[in-house]
This record gives sequence, structure tokens and C-alpha cells, in this order.
Amino acid sequence: MEINRVVFSYDKRQNQLKGIDGLVETGKVTTIIGPNGCGKSTLLGVLSGYYRPQSGQAIVDGKAMHRYSPKELARKLAVVHQQNSAPEDITIERLVGYGRIPHRGWFGGNGQEDREAIEWALACTDLASKRTASIEKLSGGELQRVWLAMALVQRTPILLLDEPTAYLDMYYQLELLELVRRLNREYRLTIVMVLHDMNQALRYSDRIIAMKDGNIVAHGLPEEVLSSERVRMIYGVNVVVKKDAEAGLYMVPIGIDERGGEN
Amino acid sequence: MRTKSIRFIALFTGLLAVLIGVFLYAAITGSIKITPSELIAGLLNGTDERAAIIRDLRFPRMILSMLVGAALAVSGALLQAVMRNPLADAGVIGISAGAGVFTLLLTGLFPLLFFWSPLFAFAGGAVAWLLVYAIAWRGDYSPVRLVLVGVAVHMIFTGIGQLLPSFVRSSIGQANLISSSTFSYTTWGDVRLLLLYGTIGLALAHLLIPWCNMLALQDKTAHNLGLHVTRARVAVSAVAVLLASAAAAVGGFLFFVGLLVPAVARLCVGSDHRLSLPFSALAGALLVLVADTAGRTIAAPAEIPASVIMMVVGGPFLLMLLRRSGRTHGN
Repeated sequence: MEINRVVFSYDKRQNQLKGIDGLVETGKVTTIIGPNGCGKSTLLGVLSGYYRPQSGQAIVDGKAMHRYSPKELARKLAVVHQQNSAPEDITIERLVGYGRIPHRGWFGGNGQEDREAIEWALACTDLASKRTASIEKLSGGELQRVWLAMALVQRTPILLLDEPTAYLDMYYQLELLELVRRLNREYRLTIVMVLHDMNQALRYSDRIIAMKDGNIVAHGLPEEVLSSERVRMIYGVNVVVKKDAEAGLYMVPIGIDERGGEN
Repeated sequence: MRTKSIRFIALFTGLLAVLIGVFLYAAITGSIKITPSELIAGLLNGTDERAAIIRDLRFPRMILSMLVGAALAVSGALLQAVMRNPLADAGVIGISAGAGVFTLLLTGLFPLLFFWSPLFAFAGGAVAWLLVYAIAWRGDYSPVRLVLVGVAVHMIFTGIGQLLPSFVRSSIGQANLISSSTFSYTTWGDVRLLLLYGTIGLALAHLLIPWCNMLALQDKTAHNLGLHVTRARVAVSAVAVLLASAAAAVGGFLFFVGLLVPAVARLCVGSDHRLSLPFSALAGALLVLVADTAGRTIAAPAEIPASVIMMVVGGPFLLMLLRRSGRTHGN
């Protein structure tokens, strides 16, 4: 996936994305980071094809995003949003099954393939035993896994996740990120996600895209992008980055930069 | 899973049985009294004058009231799917009034074009719907804003409808079409007309069930599943407006059917449109048939319009829904 000179604005007055270029490498986990309002989720929206740039374009498999029909695109990439809603009485199995819709024509789809995809996604997300439960009875962590399972059922080579760990406690955050990593390692999924936690970004990413004020300010390996100078520049926060034999690279914030993050 | 489907089959069978029962009761009840056997014999050999009157006057109004009920209930369910809002209803948001005004115009100016009145009404309903859609939309439809805008649009069209008779002379007899509905003068011609447009509308609604279910998710989720969200919205809305307008053109104005019935359907069979749309069609037919039958029997020989009965029953129900609307849709 590639983006070329993408400009995007919600209200056509202020640009949320100011002409950015970037490359998402196939088969890698790429994490987008940056302060609130920097355009992370907007960039993910452009990458998912939901927001069409005012100028520039996003390219998937050598073809501009807007040239795909919604259905074709839904077979190329799947998205898990930060906030989701569905009728409360729908069962897990049925909601997850919606992910097969892009593979269905007017006269239904391939029943066998559909069933296999659903079984696989339920197994990956550890939801098989709860398949007939309605979603109103689920915890936040389970619900997030249901939405992930729906995206997996689409069987796309690309998976986009917008703050997948928001609203989850520490255990479920790690469980979800481990699952994401496993999907990448075992099934070669290309993954793009937005994260707020720098230590999770360090640990679970192959590449990091750092954004600020609608621009990409750094792009590369986690240890390169998340240096203490760069983090001060992006967030206006002083951090100590250390390497530990057991924990690997980790980061501890120690205070707010006096220049207020303006540089 | 199996017990659930048995429950649904029982529910639908029961509903159908009640509908048939009410139909039979309504057929023999009213200003002309007749026993079931007399009615059947009279219909078969055509000698009983009472049976002939029932065939020509009572049957059409009964069938029409059922068609109007089914059309309005399904129209409400579709609008609620498009707007993700349990308060969307063709009556509340002015579609029926818009359709009524256009019908008045057509029948007043070109009475011979009566056959096309549902299509003309469709244009009026579409105008009202576009007004509400454009003004109430702020990224979503807050229930209260939708109702406020809808009431304003409804009032505008109702006002125009009451002005019209002063300018278009021949429509005087039709003037109350827009504020009430009585099926007293229904003919078989009316039935055929609504049967045509209503059946088209209901068949299209049936085809749109998968889209309705996907619209229950967020727009971006539906988009990511390959749905052309705007196209789906327009298609579902158009069918909803067609059903409501055809009902308004032939049956007059009935408040609350599209509000009450889909809400009951959601309580009984849940949010899946594969069940709730057929349920709404049946229950809507039942509700309006009961309202019309009650209207012509409880104060006989005087007649209470079905629309009045619906307002008395539906008003409190709308208040109840408004009270609960803060807690809908999984927030």
C-alpha cells in the first residue's frame, strides 16, 4: 500500500492531512503514532478507502483506491474501528458472518468456504464457545475480539486497526496485540494500526509512522523513530529509552518538555 | 437455536390466525348484521342483498385497511433502518402529509388521472423526506431533532393541504384526506390501486432486507463490508416513501402505525429485518383492520375514523418511546 501526496480535509477549510507520502510494506506490522488530532485516524480512514482524499491518492496493489468497487476493496482490506455499534440482540456468529458479505454475489456465496472462514476467525479470537451468545452479554474485551473476528472473516491480505487496545485492560490489550502479531507471522497479513502506547508500539511493530499536525514526521524502524529526541519533538514529552535484556527496548516518560512540544 | 425458531414459527402462525379471526369477525359485524353461514351462502348464490352490500362496501374497506397498515408499518421499519432511529415514521416526519398534498393537487386539478395518484403522492412524499433528511442530519439523526424537524415539515404540508380547497374547487370533498382517514367510501378500485403499488413496494422491501441489516452497523463498518452506503440509503428510503405515499394517496392519513408496529416487532422478534419486516407487515395489517373495525362498531351508527383511533392509541406510545429513546442502539 502506498499513499501519494494525500490531502484530506473534513470541512474543506482546514486540512487534516497536508499532502503526505508514505509506504506500507507488505507483510509487516506498521504502527501509526502521534499526538491527539495529528491525523492518525484520518490517515487510517484514507487507507481504508472510507475517506476519499481531496487530492493525491492511496494505492493498493498498484491500483488507486477509488477505482475499486466497495466490494472489491472489502476483499482486499478489512478494518476494525475504534468504536462500533450493532443491534444488541445479534449473535456473535451472525455478526462475524457479516464479514463474508464481500464474498457473496446476488445468489449467495460458497457455503463451505464461508463456514471455514467463520470457524477459523472464531478459533483465532477464542470465541468459538460463545458463538450463539448475543453481543449485549459480552465484556469490552470480547466485543473488541468480535469486531476483529468479523474483519478476519473477510480473509483479506490487509488488516487495519484503529486503536484496537482502547477501552481494554492490560491483559486484554496484550492478548489482542499478541493475536495481531500471530496473524502477521503465521498468515502473513499486512497490518496497519494506530496505537497510543509507545511501549506497545516499540514491542509489536516492524515499522512506525510518526505523525504531527497532518504530516508524517518520521517513518522507519521502531528504535529509530522512537528515540528520545524524536519523541520530544513529536509529543513535547521528555522520555528515557532503555534497553533491557528481558524487556527489550522500553520507554519511560519523565516530564513535559518546557518548550511545550512546539519544535 | 431450534427452540428460538419454533418460537418464531408459533408467533407468526398466531399472528396470522388472529388476523384471519379478526377479518372474519369484521366481515359479519357492523351496521348490517348477518351470520357467517348467511354471508357465505349469499356470496355464493348472490340472492342475499345484505351479502352483496357487504361484498361491495365492507370487504373493500377491510382489505384496504389491511394493505394500508402493512404498507405503513413496513415503511416505518425501513425509515428506522435508514435513519437508525426508532422514532422515524412516515406520519411523524411529514412524508404522509407531503404525499397527501400532492394527491389533493392531482385529484383537484386532474381528477381523471386518479390511477397515477400514488406516483404523484410519491413525489410529494419524496419532497417532504428530502427536507427532513437535509435539515435533521448532523452526522446522525438525534431522535429529538428528527421529530422536531419532522413535525415542522408535517405542519407545513398539513397547512398547505387545508389551504388548497380554497383555491382548487373540486377537491373540497377530499380535503380531510390529509388530516384523517376513514375507509367509509372505499371501492374495489381503491383496493386494486393500492394492491398494485403496495405489492411492488413490499416486494422491493423484501429484497432490501440484507441492506437494512447492514445499515444497522455504522456507516464506515458497512462501507468496509463492501456496501455502497449512500446507494443503500437512497434505495431503502425510496421504497419507504413509495409505501407510505401509496398508503396516503389511497387510504388517507394515519398517524403512528409506522412507529408502533416496528417497535412491537423489535420487542417480539428482535432487530433482524428478515423477521421484523414480515412481522411488521402482518401486525400492521392487523392493527389498522382492528382500528377500522373498532371505529365503525364502538359508537355505531356513528363512525370514528381509524386515524382518530390510531392517534388515541399511538400518542401515548410515542411519549413512551421518547422517554426510552436515550437508551437505544447499544450506547
